[in-house]
Amino acid sequence: MDFLDLIDTIQSIADGVLFGATYALLGIGFTLIFGVMHKINLSYAAASIGAAYVSLMILFVIKAPAIVVFLMAALAGGAVGGFVYLVGFKFIPLANPLATLMSTVGLLLLIDEIIVHTTAGVPLNYPALFSDVIVPMGPFSLRGDLMFVFILGCVCMVLLLLLLYRTRLGLATRAVSQQPIASELCGISITRVNVLTFVITGIVGGIAGAMTGAAIGMLSPLLSIPLTVKGLIVTVIGGLGNIPGAIIAGLVVGGLENLFQFLRGVSERDLYIMLLLFVFLVFRPGGIFAAPGGRD
Amino acid sequence: MRKLDIAIAALVAGTALAASGATLAQERTVKITGFGAKSGVVRVFGINSEAALKAAAEEINKAGGVTLGDGTKAKFVIEFLDDRCNAEEGISVVRRIASTDAFVAVGPTCSNVAESLFGILQKKVGDASDSGLQFPIIADVAAKGGLAKISEWSFRNVPSEFEMYKSLFAWLKTQHPDLKTIYGGVEKDFAHSNATFGVMKAQAEANGLQVVGQSEWLLADTTFSTQIREMKRANPDIVTISAHPFTTCGALKEMERQGVKPKLLIGLTSSSSIETLQGCAKQAEGIIIPTSFAPVTPEAKKASDNVAKFGGSADLHSAAAYEIMFILKEVIEQQKIMAKPDTVQEDRSKMRQGLAALKETDGLLGKVGRTPDREAIKPFLYVHAKDGSWQVLHKPSS
Repeated sequence: MDFLDLIDTIQSIADGVLFGATYALLGIGFTLIFGVMHKINLSYAAASIGAAYVSLMILFVIKAPAIVVFLMAALAGGAVGGFVYLVGFKFIPLANPLATLMSTVGLLLLIDEIIVHTTAGVPLNYPALFSDVIVPMGPFSLRGDLMFVFILGCVCMVLLLLLLYRTRLGLATRAVSQQPIASELCGISITRVNVLTFVITGIVGGIAGAMTGAAIGMLSPLLSIPLTVKGLIVTVIGGLGNIPGAIIAGLVVGGLENLFQFLRGVSERDLYIMLLLFVFLVFRPGGIFAAPGGRD
Repeated sequence: MRKLDIAIAALVAGTALAASGATLAQERTVKITGFGAKSGVVRVFGINSEAALKAAAEEINKAGGVTLGDGTKAKFVIEFLDDRCNAEEGISVVRRIASTDAFVAVGPTCSNVAESLFGILQKKVGDASDSGLQFPIIADVAAKGGLAKISEWSFRNVPSEFEMYKSLFAWLKTQHPDLKTIYGGVEKDFAHSNATFGVMKAQAEANGLQVVGQSEWLLADTTFSTQIREMKRANPDIVTISAHPFTTCGALKEMERQGVKPKLLIGLTSSSSIETLQGCAKQAEGIIIPTSFAPVTPEAKKASDNVAKFGGSADLHSAAAYEIMFILKEVIEQQKIMAKPDTVQEDRSKMRQGLAALKETDGLLGKVGRTPDREAIKPFLYVHAKDGSWQVLHKPSS
C-alpha cells in the first residue's frame, strides 16, 4: 500500500462514517421500537423512504427550499409511523412474535409497491444542502452535504436522548419498555406510548429518509431493502434496544462498508459486513456496549 | 296505407338490424398478450411496453385491422401481464399465456427472465425427444446479447448492442484520435449492464483505447465515493458507464463532487431515457449513448406521440414493442393464421415459421434486418444529453 492508497483508505472510511449517520438514524428507529415493544418493525426503512417521497410532493405546490422538504419528510415520517402502528401492530396479536414480524414484512412490500406504482420506479431528484461544498483538510476532503447529514443526525440523536431521559413521555416510554404491566397499573396508557413511539421513530425515520435522499441526490424504491438490511445490522451490532449503540454501530458499519469496498471490491464488501454481524451475534450478542459474557 | 308503411318500415329496420348483427358477428378480435415488469423498480419498462403495444394496435385497428387466414378482418386487443422481472414469475406467466388460445407472446423486459424463459421452450423445432414448450415468443426489451439462439421458438426485436458499440467506438476513433485511455464503471449485479460492459470494453480495446481500470457497484448502491476516487486516480480521457439511470446518476453526481471531468462520457443504451434526465440532467450533459430510437423520422414522431397517449414514453425498448405489432400483423397475414380456438397449435407453428422466415421488417428508423439466429439488425444513431434533452449527435451511414 503506497501513500496514495493510504490517503484513499482514510478518505473512504471518512466518507463512509459520514454516510453512516443515515444508518445510525435508521438503527435508532429499529432499536427504539424494539426497546419499547420488543418487536422488530421490518417496514421501518421502507416507511422512511416513503416519507422522503411524500416530502417531494411539496415541490409540486411551491418551490420550497431543501430544509422545508426535510421538515416535510419528518412530518410525513411521523404520519407514516402512526399508520404503520395502526395497520401492523394495533390489531395484530402482540403475544405472537411472528405475527407482527409478518405484518411488518407485508407493510414493507406494500409501501415499496405504493412507491413503485406512484413513481413507476423512476428515480427522483432529491434536494440537498451544501452539495457543492467540499471542505479540504490537507490531502483529504469532506463533503459538505454529508457533513450536514452527519451533524443533523447527531442533533436528532441528542434530541431523542433528551426526550427519552428528560421528559415525562420519555419516562413513560422507558417504563413501558421495562415493566409494561406495572406501567399500566401506574396509569400509563401503553397504547398511547406505543403510538407516540411509532410517531417519534417515524419522524426520525423521515429525517433518515430525507438525509439518505440528500446524500445520494436521488430517491429510488431500490433503497428500501438494502436500508432495511443495514438498519437491522446496525440494530444488532449496536445492541437491541440500545440507542447509543445504534449510533456508534451506524457510523462503524458506514465506515467499514467503504473500507471493505476499497480493499476487497464490491463483490466481497457485503460479505464482510455480514460476517461482522455473525461475529457480534456469536461473541457479543448484546451489542457493542454489552458485557462480553452476555450470552445464554 | 298507413299500416303498410309501418310494416315496410319495420321490415327495413329488421333487415338493417339483421345485417348489422351479421357484421358484428363477423368482427373478430385477436388478443396479443405482452408481458414484462410492471412492478418493482423496472416497472417503467412494462408501462412503456404496454403503452407501445396498445398504441400500435390502435394504429393498426384504425387502418382496418388484421386480415386472418379465412379472409375476415380482426381488431387487435392487447393484454399485458406482470412478470416482476423475476425468472420464475416470467415462466409462470408464459405457461399461463400458452394455456390459452394465444399463438404468440411479446416480452419480457429483463434479460434474466428471457434467458430462463427461452430455456423452457423446445430447442429445435420438430425434435420429438424435446418436451419443451412449443410457443413463439418475441422479445421487445431484454437486451443481453445472443439470447434468441437459445430456442428456435424465441425471437427478438432488440438492437444489437455489439454492433452499436462497435460502430460507436470506431466513430470515436475517427472523431477523437487524441483520446487514448478509457475507464469503466459497471453495475455488477445486473445482467444487461454487466454483459454490455464486456462489449464496451472489448470494442474500446479493439479501437486502440487503453483500458486503465474499472469500478464496480451494485444496482441498489447508495455511495460511490470509493469507486469514483479510483476513477479519479486513473485520470482517463474517456469514462464509460454501463449502468441503469439510478446508479448512473449516482456515479455522475459523485464524479461532479470529486471534480472528475473526462473528455468524453459514454453511457449504457438503457440510460438514453427520460429517467436519466429526470435524475441528473446537469451531470449527464454531454454523455453519448447509441440508441435504436429517437423521434427523427415521421413514423418515429407519430409513434412517440401515440405511445404518450397511452401513458408511456417511446424509447429504444418500447419502440421495439411498437414495431413488433406491425411485424405480427405482417406474419399473421402472410401465414394465413386463423386465430381460432381449434387451430391454436397450427397457428403457433405458422407464427414461428413466419417470424423465422422474415429477412427484413419495417422499423421506425428504417429497415430492420433479421438474422438466421432470430435476432434483429436495427438501424441506430448516437444521441447525447444536451440542455436537458436527448439530441441526435450522429447517424451512422450503415
